[in-house]
Amino acid sequence: MSETDRLLVVEDLSTTFTTPSGRLPAVSHISLSLDQNETLGIVGESGSGKTVLARTIMGLQPRTNVEVTGSVLLNGHQMVGVSEAEKRNYWGTDVAMVFQDPMTSLNPVMRVGRQIDEALRVRMNMPKDAARARAIELLELVGIPSPERRYRAYPGQLSGGMRQRVVIATALACSPQLLIADEPTTGLDVTIQAQILNLIDELKERLHMSVVLITHDLGVVATRTSRIIVMYAGRVVETGSTRDVFHRMRMPYTRALLESSPKVTSPSHTRLHAIPGRPPNLVNLPPGCSFAPRCASATQRCHEERPELEVDSTPGHAFACWNPLPIRPERVA
Amino acid sequence: MSSALDEVLTEVQTDKRGPLGPLFWVCVGWLGLNVFGAIFANILPLHDPLFGNYNAISQGPSARYWLGTDDLGRDIFSRIVYGSRISIAVGTGAMVIGFGVGAPLGMLAAYRRGRFDSILTSFMYILLAFPAIVAVIAVLSFWTPRSMFKIIVVIGLASIPLVYRVIRTATMAVATKDYIIAAKVQGATDRRILMKELLPNIAPIGISFLLIGVATVVTLEGALAFLGLSVNPPTPSWGNMINEARTVLAQNPWLVFFPSLALCLFLLCLNFIGDRLRSHYDVTETKL
Repeated sequence: MSETDRLLVVEDLSTTFTTPSGRLPAVSHISLSLDQNETLGIVGESGSGKTVLARTIMGLQPRTNVEVTGSVLLNGHQMVGVSEAEKRNYWGTDVAMVFQDPMTSLNPVMRVGRQIDEALRVRMNMPKDAARARAIELLELVGIPSPERRYRAYPGQLSGGMRQRVVIATALACSPQLLIADEPTTGLDVTIQAQILNLIDELKERLHMSVVLITHDLGVVATRTSRIIVMYAGRVVETGSTRDVFHRMRMPYTRALLESSPKVTSPSHTRLHAIPGRPPNLVNLPPGCSFAPRCASATQRCHEERPELEVDSTPGHAFACWNPLPIRPERVA
Repeated sequence: MSSALDEVLTEVQTDKRGPLGPLFWVCVGWLGLNVFGAIFANILPLHDPLFGNYNAISQGPSARYWLGTDDLGRDIFSRIVYGSRISIAVGTGAMVIGFGVGAPLGMLAAYRRGRFDSILTSFMYILLAFPAIVAVIAVLSFWTPRSMFKIIVVIGLASIPLVYRVIRTATMAVATKDYIIAAKVQGATDRRILMKELLPNIAPIGISFLLIGVATVVTLEGALAFLGLSVNPPTPSWGNMINEARTVLAQNPWLVFFPSLALCLFLLCLNFIGDRLRSHYDVTETKL
């Protein structure tokens, strides 16, 4: 498949904010691509630039104090440096987004049905009745019981899980080809989390969408994605097929992330591994590897020189590290 | 999926808002009565507010003169009803100007941000730095002859920065919410977002500020009338009635009492309605 046939091609994308304390490179020099019907996982801890990356791909930047360079080709449409009016043509139909917190991503004073059929009426010029029928269909599709009644409900009358389903329904309204889910389960409790993730998975298959799943939980992406990008301090530090990243991880940060999630197989009262220190201040990054100050295997070189992404033995698997972990045949997870 | 459980939970959470309460409706009724009186004062069977009956000077309340007469023998009840015209017209007229200009600008500035917002907001804050009442007094002192129209315009213009600030802040709190971005990425235009997403969310704050604004302007008109800067006598307004009655306070206390009572009740009702509506419609405060 050639580059132009791909659904999403991001090249050398950087998003820099101008803050009172200096320039803040929230996303620097990221390249990635996504095929039809593929799921890409973007993993990293809070503040690693996942959300900014997602919003930049969507073309959602604040109107001021931000500079975006590079290229985002979505279905062949350039999303960087074009007017909002133009991006509006692609929003909804080419790409849609599920937000982090269903408590704030629905308008509290609008009936949920109207929030869904609004998109249909504005973007697809559907007549009122048809939009209503389609909205009820969508509510049913995302597994909301008695959708005719919920159509008239206000967001405050629904539980968190139900609300996130409604958010997904609004995102699906114009049948997008790419769905970006930005930590779609953060605001929900664990049992609902799995339901929502399975729902996204199932909808992806049924509607032939591609999905970008953003999370800080490696466990979430393990079974649901075909490829993974691990981000740290606005950069990609490891990328590859889900299998490679899990079984042949080379970047100490990836391992640290994995070790910091609890495992069912560990005996009870096992202490969780926390990554020491905190993510670096992006305004003045260290000259070397951004992870070096928190890395157990850091050497002098790590502090002085920044490692670039380097392709590993398996094609498609790349990592940015001077002292990569040895490849071991053993299973890590 | 446990749809039965969800069903139950949804039912539990379905929360009908409580009633607004009888006091609210009493206040609405009282305001309605005031407005009705102001509009139909000409048709209602009232004494002429300007006619002095020299056979009935400075009388207390009686069957003929319900609230008594003043030192020129004019019927106080009819003067209060006619006086409400000035208060209500000035209060609503000034707020129509203030909101008509201040609210759209405030919403636009909060939604657009950037240079437009910085320049406009700095300008408004400079205006806010002037003591509005002093400015209003100064302008009205020189812009003669005074008419109700001029008073409405001056107070209306003076209220624009205040309305702007409140609406801008309220809009800003909403404009950064995810659902605004969500609406945007569903293809909603700026105009649609402003009218359909932002406006309903700031309406409760806007309406209560509007009512309290009317109350403030009515008080301000009273203060101006007291200083002799409102409509010229003998046209009655609540403020100038209090002012005129002040000189005979010792002899005729009810001359001050009744217009003051009318003013107080009017303001109390406005404030109460505004406050009640705010807490009633504040979805975000209680429900989410």
